[in-house]
Amino acid sequence: MKPPKFEYRAARTVEEAVSLLQEAGEDAKILAGGQSLVPMLNFRLTRPSHLIDINKVSELDYIREKDGKLAIGALTRERTIERSALVRQKFPLLTEATEWIGHVQIRNRGTIGGSVAHADPASEYPALVVLSDAELTIQGPDGSRTTTWDEFFVTYLTTSLQPFEVLTELRFPLPKPGSGYAFVELARRHGDFALVGCAAQVTMNGKGTCQEARLALIGVGPFPHRSPDAEAMLKGQKLTDKLISEAGQKISEEVEPEGDMHASTEYRRAMSKVFTERALKKALSRVQGGK
Amino acid sequence: MAATTTETAQRWVGRSVKRVEDPRLLTGRGTYVDDLHLANLHQAAILRSPHAHARIRGIDASKAEALPGVVGVVRGKQVAELSEAFPLGVAAPVRYYSCAVGKVLFVGEPVAVVVAKDRYTAEDACDLIEVDYEPLPCVLDPEKAVEDPTAPILHENVGSNVANHRVLHYGDTDKAWAEADLIVKTGRLVFPKYGSTPVEGYAAAAQWDPLNQAYTIWSNFHGPFIMHPVMCRALGVTEDRLRFIVPPDIGGGFGIKSSVYPYMTLMAICARVTGLPVKWIEDRREHLVASSSGTDRVSYLEAAVKKDGTILGVRMKIYDNCGGYIRTPEPACLYRATGNYSGAYLFQNLKMDQYAVMTNKSLTGPNRGYGCQQLYFGLERLVDQVAYDLGMDVAEVRLKNLIPAGAFPYTTPSGGIYDSGDYSKSVRLALDMAKYDELRKRQTAARASGKLYGIGVATAVDPSVTNMAYITVAWTPEERARKGYLPKAGSSETGSVRIDPSGKAFCMVNTTPEGQGHETAVSQIVADELGMAIGDVHVITEFDTFTRTWSITSGSYSSRFASVGASAVATAARRVKEKVLKIAAPMLEVNPQDLDVRDSKVFVKGSPERSVPIRRIAGQAHWSATLLPEGLEPGLQATCMFNFPNAKPPDEKDRVDSSQTYGFIAEVMGVEIDPATGEVRIDKYVTVHDVGTLINPMIVEGQVMGGALHGVAGALYEEMAYDESGQFLAASFMDYLCPTAMEAPPIEIGHVVSPSPFTVLGSKGCGESSTMTAPAVVANAIADALRPLNIAVRELPMTPNKVWKLLQEQKAKGVA
Amino acid sequence: MKLEGKYTFKAARQKVWDVLLDQKVLASCLPGCERLEEVAPDQFEARLKIGVASVKGTYDGKVRILEKHPISSYRMEVEGSGAPGFVKGEATISLEDKGDKTDILYSGEAQIGGLVASIGQRMLGGVTKLMVNQFFKAMEKKIQ
Ligand SMILES: Cc1cc2nc3c(=O)[nH]c(=O)nc-3n(C[C@H](O)[C@H](O)[C@H](O)COP(=O)(O)OP(=O)(O)OC[C@H]3O[C@@H](n4cnc5c(N)ncnc54)[C@H](O)[C@@H]3O)c2cc1C
Repeated sequence: MKPPKFEYRAARTVEEAVSLLQEAGEDAKILAGGQSLVPMLNFRLTRPSHLIDINKVSELDYIREKDGKLAIGALTRERTIERSALVRQKFPLLTEATEWIGHVQIRNRGTIGGSVAHADPASEYPALVVLSDAELTIQGPDGSRTTTWDEFFVTYLTTSLQPFEVLTELRFPLPKPGSGYAFVELARRHGDFALVGCAAQVTMNGKGTCQEARLALIGVGPFPHRSPDAEAMLKGQKLTDKLISEAGQKISEEVEPEGDMHASTEYRRAMSKVFTERALKKALSRVQGGK
Repeated sequence: MAATTTETAQRWVGRSVKRVEDPRLLTGRGTYVDDLHLANLHQAAILRSPHAHARIRGIDASKAEALPGVVGVVRGKQVAELSEAFPLGVAAPVRYYSCAVGKVLFVGEPVAVVVAKDRYTAEDACDLIEVDYEPLPCVLDPEKAVEDPTAPILHENVGSNVANHRVLHYGDTDKAWAEADLIVKTGRLVFPKYGSTPVEGYAAAAQWDPLNQAYTIWSNFHGPFIMHPVMCRALGVTEDRLRFIVPPDIGGGFGIKSSVYPYMTLMAICARVTGLPVKWIEDRREHLVASSSGTDRVSYLEAAVKKDGTILGVRMKIYDNCGGYIRTPEPACLYRATGNYSGAYLFQNLKMDQYAVMTNKSLTGPNRGYGCQQLYFGLERLVDQVAYDLGMDVAEVRLKNLIPAGAFPYTTPSGGIYDSGDYSKSVRLALDMAKYDELRKRQTAARASGKLYGIGVATAVDPSVTNMAYITVAWTPEERARKGYLPKAGSSETGSVRIDPSGKAFCMVNTTPEGQGHETAVSQIVADELGMAIGDVHVITEFDTFTRTWSITSGSYSSRFASVGASAVATAARRVKEKVLKIAAPMLEVNPQDLDVRDSKVFVKGSPERSVPIRRIAGQAHWSATLLPEGLEPGLQATCMFNFPNAKPPDEKDRVDSSQTYGFIAEVMGVEIDPATGEVRIDKYVTVHDVGTLINPMIVEGQVMGGALHGVAGALYEEMAYDESGQFLAASFMDYLCPTAMEAPPIEIGHVVSPSPFTVLGSKGCGESSTMTAPAVVANAIADALRPLNIAVRELPMTPNKVWKLLQEQKAKGVA
Repeated sequence: MKLEGKYTFKAARQKVWDVLLDQKVLASCLPGCERLEEVAPDQFEARLKIGVASVKGTYDGKVRILEKHPISSYRMEVEGSGAPGFVKGEATISLEDKGDKTDILYSGEAQIGGLVASIGQRMLGGVTKLMVNQFFKAMEKKIQ
């Protein structure tokens, strides 16, 4: 469990990171918190020629509210997000998602940009990018571009990030007033990657009808699953147990999970229903002032 | 409150003294194998098989050998030239070497070793070795490996996958079956394969001395030192040409490390081939894939019972899965519990039809509880089935069949001599602590509201300090009676105590602790015997076959410290004390029998003001030896090699007292199951232990909790899982789910104390404890929860997915 | 791991058959194929550079076409080994007329061994299927 040989360079600015990536060539990798990359290096699952360390790129470490969105720099540590009063106040679903990530020691180092760029099929942050249609800003040799999840996530651990690009910022649209949220998941142990998880955000009007429902599931496909159909079923309706169960059923019919030693395809499929229901119910109860 | 190390007044034994080794361990000042530095020390990395079963057509290591920094590549061929196959405890002619020779039989089997200037280079070189494999079909299930004629044979020269088969018959089961009102069956039970993941994996370093043709090996091997002659045979040297050194600290073991010896041999060969000292530190992936694990078992149990719940006899058919090669001490998983096969119960008729089988899984060996978690999982599931079939309560059936308190020492049908105990008292205490009746009421209410709540009960006789004779039950009585056969018998250990010229005590034990707190316990025992403060007692744990007084049963295994280690060191201390009193007697002008020790002084009983410091006695013994009373040797030291008279070879009916002390465990557990997800939550866990005299209650409770969690791990979390093609699926902690503090259920511990009449202090081993019962009690509790749905629990671990699947299947049948 | 699926190609059966078994096409459609040499009839030696994201590996292996029943079915075996372990796959591919199109049905087994199997399952379990899809998608492009 020793990594193969690689060259190491440290950048101080995004620009420098991009040019170091270019100098290093296609097999270089960015090193952020290292919580996913370093284990893979030590297992020799990945063999980059160069590591470009961005831990000193302090310009990427921030949380700001901007134009009704929460803008977070890619190098912001998971623990910083977890403890941010601003996040808790404006987008508590992000706080709750963060609490599900690994252990404190992991969150102290792991970054939101690293998590989203790594695109683990069971990671929490990609689910929120998908759920809230967040904007992702990416900087490359030709300047900066903005993209959304449907273009960004390609498959298992694969994104449309190009070899010399750096993910710099994530912008989450803030939930509308009258919204409730929940992130629930099933894992074998505390801190494990989820077998199945569901993030839900429901916005209700004063009359108890659902104005908007957003759902994103993890662990049930190559990247987080969003269900326009299930969301449409809920929109404009009273969220009865029956309707919630139908939405869960819908999702369980849509997903195509892979099985592994912990959870079979059938089990994950069934759990996608159970956890969709649990997430929706919890989100709804929070609209109504629940904890 | 924990006591401090400078008090002397009262007895130390029996108090929760803080562990004297902890400041060192917690501040990173321990000394482990990896802290060893030798001039020109090189590092090894091992290339391992990616196939479960394959022929090796060729190995091309030319690119690896050409890599700068690499000093050598050792292949199976050289291993076969420079060593013999390891001696085995069975007759099957299995040729097991420390590295694959011609064929690989499990994923992770060593195929070649690179020795290089550092580990990075060695691993780089491993990547450059090209091995040409011809994959072969594999078999993973031990029953299939024996019973399915189409199963591939792993060892062509053995001719079958059976490494050992014996039918042991005690009493008369035919008679029991004829007299029974009912025959109760468990069906096919599957006990899983799991290990113990100590913080420190295997570690071995070796050096070859060409002048003396001798090896020195440093390792975290913790015994039994039976492996010293085993390795000498493999390396083709006499015992005086192999020096074993164990450093002061070992980062956990739990039995697993007694199987580090193939790697010690392999490193010895690497040192010889390269002419350099070579070190290898096992990494976590290697540890999970290929070090050692507990034995997975398929078993079928049946009981002959009377309508009133009396068990007349039991029959077991067992297939133990020893992996690719049977490796000493296997097939001991089948035999370690010979004397306590019948557990806590009175029945006299028992038949064991048992196979040790080889399949394409990694190799097995002792794992905390060895042989007992497998045994009690079967036996306790069977007792539950008896209760179910007779409509009785599970606790009631157990109480009905327990060995009564007045029966000790009690000889079991298979030859065990249970030293002491009060089993019903222990079971009743566990039921009381769990508020069993109340728990049953809660269960009824939970069921009425659609919840799945189950209550499990389990008991175990907890054997410690094995008599090495037990392993020879693997041979038939005829084989054991052959001419020239040297019967094996004994469970000895050495303790040495010396008082140095300054009056402080130094003790040596050969129990190579891996974190159990032996230093603390020895300090307590010796401080009591010599009337000192524990801070004045120093315990040296590093071990060296060249400088220590030891014997082949020495080491730390089979929970033997508190029984034999403690007895040896207490006896040695008493001998030193005797001499101290003899030296003091003329000084105080009394007879030695009128004297005693306290506060580091010898005093006259009845007039404590007449005293002489032990320091003065020590001064006399060392500085003024010629003036000692007549007949006394200079110095102040004694060594005791303690053994048990009952540790005899098996008789012609295969009866043997396989262990020398037998504790007792009674457990009650409550679980709640989430019907939507299949998750099992432990709601209540009560465990009552009888370990005889408690030397240090805090350490005992630590062992109990660790053991309980280890057992719960096997029952709910950890599994060395393979896919159908024999690929290993759990090579990191991402998939091998070692429970953490967050998963630990609250554990309530109770004690019943029945001192052993066979040990010096009345103490018994307690290092394995609830590892033996936890899998059974978890399975029984889950089974109880699922009984209303007609779901049987026959395998572990009970993962959420598995429980959910059982619920779904039943739903499909329209039951639930 | 079971592999099963169906593709519809917009071409007649003979054409699809010819393309599927054309060595050049095979070489360009096998994911990450860097080299493909015919060593015996219908037997090829290949070097595949396979990887998702950063989990890349170079695998040397063999591709064999067996049990050819022109133009209705054949069996394909792929095996390769490299530092991350080995891959082995085997599938029966059958062609059926579907008007002026052709249905391709495949069913088989894939096995991943070594490193990737023992630690990458959770993240990479679905990758094999992905590559099969990649293969047929690439084929589809060649046919059109
Ligand atoms: C024991 C353990 C448990 C964990 N549990 C969870 C969990 O439950 N849920 C969860 O979501 N995660 C979990 N993680 C992963 C953790 O959240 C990681 O920190 C995170 O996924 C990656 O972030 P990082 O900053 O460490 O990235 P790194 O490991 O440094 O990088 C990961 C990948 O992203 C790339 N990368 C990083 N930053 C950028 C960037 N700005 N632009 C472009 N590419 C970039 C790297 O090149 C690399 O390929 C766990 C990790 C461990 C070790």
